[in-house]
Amino acid sequence: MARLPGLVTASALALAAAIAPASAQDALHVAWYGGNWGDAFKACVADPFTKATGVAVVPEVGTSTVTLAKLQQQKDAPTIDVAWMDGGVSELAEAAGVLAPITEKGVPNLKDALPQAVYTNANGTYAVGTGYYSLGLTYNTKEIPEAPTSWNDLWKPEYADAVTIPSPANSSGVPFLFFLHKIWNAPAGDFAPVFAKIKELKPALFFDSSGAASNAFQSSEAIIGAHFNVGAFDLIAKGLPIGFTVPKEGVWATDARLHLVKNAPRAEMAQKFIDTALTPAASQCLAEKLFLGPSVKGVSVSPETAAKLPWGAKGSVENLYLLDWTEVNAKRAELVDTWNREIARK
Amino acid sequence: MAASRTTLALLLFAPLAFFAAFFLAPMAVVALTSLTTDDGGLTFAHYARILFDQYHWDVLWVTFRIALATTALCLLIGFPLAWYLVRIVRWRSWRRACVILIVVPLFTSNIVRSFGWMVLLGRTGLVNQGLMGMGMTERPIRFLGTETGILIGMVYILMPFVVLSVGNALAKIDTALEDASADLGVGPARTFWFVTLPLCLPGAVSGAIMVFALAVSAYVTPALLSGGQITVFSMLIFQQYSSVFDFHYGGALSVTLLVLTLVLVTLAGRIGERGRRAA
Repeated sequence: MARLPGLVTASALALAAAIAPASAQDALHVAWYGGNWGDAFKACVADPFTKATGVAVVPEVGTSTVTLAKLQQQKDAPTIDVAWMDGGVSELAEAAGVLAPITEKGVPNLKDALPQAVYTNANGTYAVGTGYYSLGLTYNTKEIPEAPTSWNDLWKPEYADAVTIPSPANSSGVPFLFFLHKIWNAPAGDFAPVFAKIKELKPALFFDSSGAASNAFQSSEAIIGAHFNVGAFDLIAKGLPIGFTVPKEGVWATDARLHLVKNAPRAEMAQKFIDTALTPAASQCLAEKLFLGPSVKGVSVSPETAAKLPWGAKGSVENLYLLDWTEVNAKRAELVDTWNREIARK
Repeated sequence: MAASRTTLALLLFAPLAFFAAFFLAPMAVVALTSLTTDDGGLTFAHYARILFDQYHWDVLWVTFRIALATTALCLLIGFPLAWYLVRIVRWRSWRRACVILIVVPLFTSNIVRSFGWMVLLGRTGLVNQGLMGMGMTERPIRFLGTETGILIGMVYILMPFVVLSVGNALAKIDTALEDASADLGVGPARTFWFVTLPLCLPGAVSGAIMVFALAVSAYVTPALLSGGQITVFSMLIFQQYSSVFDFHYGGALSVTLLVLTLVLVTLAGRIGERGRRAA
């Protein structure tokens, strides 16, 4: 091999490059979350994408906020092409100027996304949802045989010291305050009544990670409270006596969104990747694996999965309370500070 | 001489470069962000916000109180344990087994061990089942969400540091010194108090400093065992970085905790130094 004339070697290399464009350097870099989320994104979107295009996908694992931090650091010379980030962080990323608009020209399947899942501002579409998840009422079916019907049940004396709701360190903590503010019809902009009521709550714990909530329900430390549909049905699948219900006031929900990174080195493939994620097949796959409510029109799932979706067995995206994140982000620091002073101390 | 100096410089370069890149640089970034505003201007406002607010001092007091109690308990329990391992155990393999038992938990993640304590200390956990089974309490005792709960978890996690450092100091003591003390007609209690204890003080102090520094900055254990109902300083820092995204205020909180901890650790180091000189 080493003795081959230079010209032959060079042309062989050129030929190899021409027939196999998907060398390691050309692999698409996609930021997504860890654990079963990353596994599902790989199986439902990345694998079909690689199969269709021959382009490998390199995952950049991190939570939404870590991904945003990475994107801000590599703003001038990004290495990430596509990024999954949750609602809320998505708006922050757009404000930080690290996203490029997603167009129907580059992503034809965008037209099939639910209108609620297409996030557009003056610069165009900066994000598209790939599935909803909700924070519903979760309870221990052994201790509470009948499904609770209202969020106010958390204040019932018989559940004292066995209730859990998210703390502001969790991504759902501040949005949950907005949700309570809405269902209790508190005066606009005034969270004092919400804090006063939470002060009366007798919690087992305020969970700061989804894992801590799962752990609390699993050990019966909490027998009623808020939990993500993704986490709750994971416990149910393990055979634990847990129920998940959408009470009459509804549930707060958000979504995992896809973003095209500004100046992405492989922009064309990045758009194809987003297009793949918006196919009914990918959406259905995410619903089956993570119980994410499909954000693509006309996706049908098995009745078994349908019961585990964020909006409950009979609902739809209309039953979800989706927040105006700009409003939430503007009040975030203030609410966290009030929570610390009023709630998180003895 | 010159050659050895070059070798030395070359040998030192790698660790120094590593230290600069992965420790000094990030630290400088945090310190710098804590002193700037969003548009890059210099400000002390973030520090003023912390230092002139009683709330932050309250949280600092809780943090240091838990860390001091953790250190005291670790010493109180760790010292006899180290004594047992070094002075009482005669059978070598058993000693080795004990040391392994002490060290192995350090290989497991804090998160897993704290989750373990959440299960043990819970309302229906093993500890409460045991207490109720023995008739020591009618209703389950609340551990989670209390300082006691955090303390139990922290002492369990940090104890090995005291056992290892005190054990090391004890093993180095020349027992002839104790024999000499006995020969001079001093009883075992006074020998321990005036000979053995001062000699292992440096080990105890270095163990205590490690435990204190780790306890002040601990996040996972207090976050999980407090059930979000008690706030320690590291939790305030985490909130700012993870959910409020105010890196300026978060940075200022970090630097405040770092400086106050360094002050306390220096003071403790002085005490250790004095102990060594006295010995």
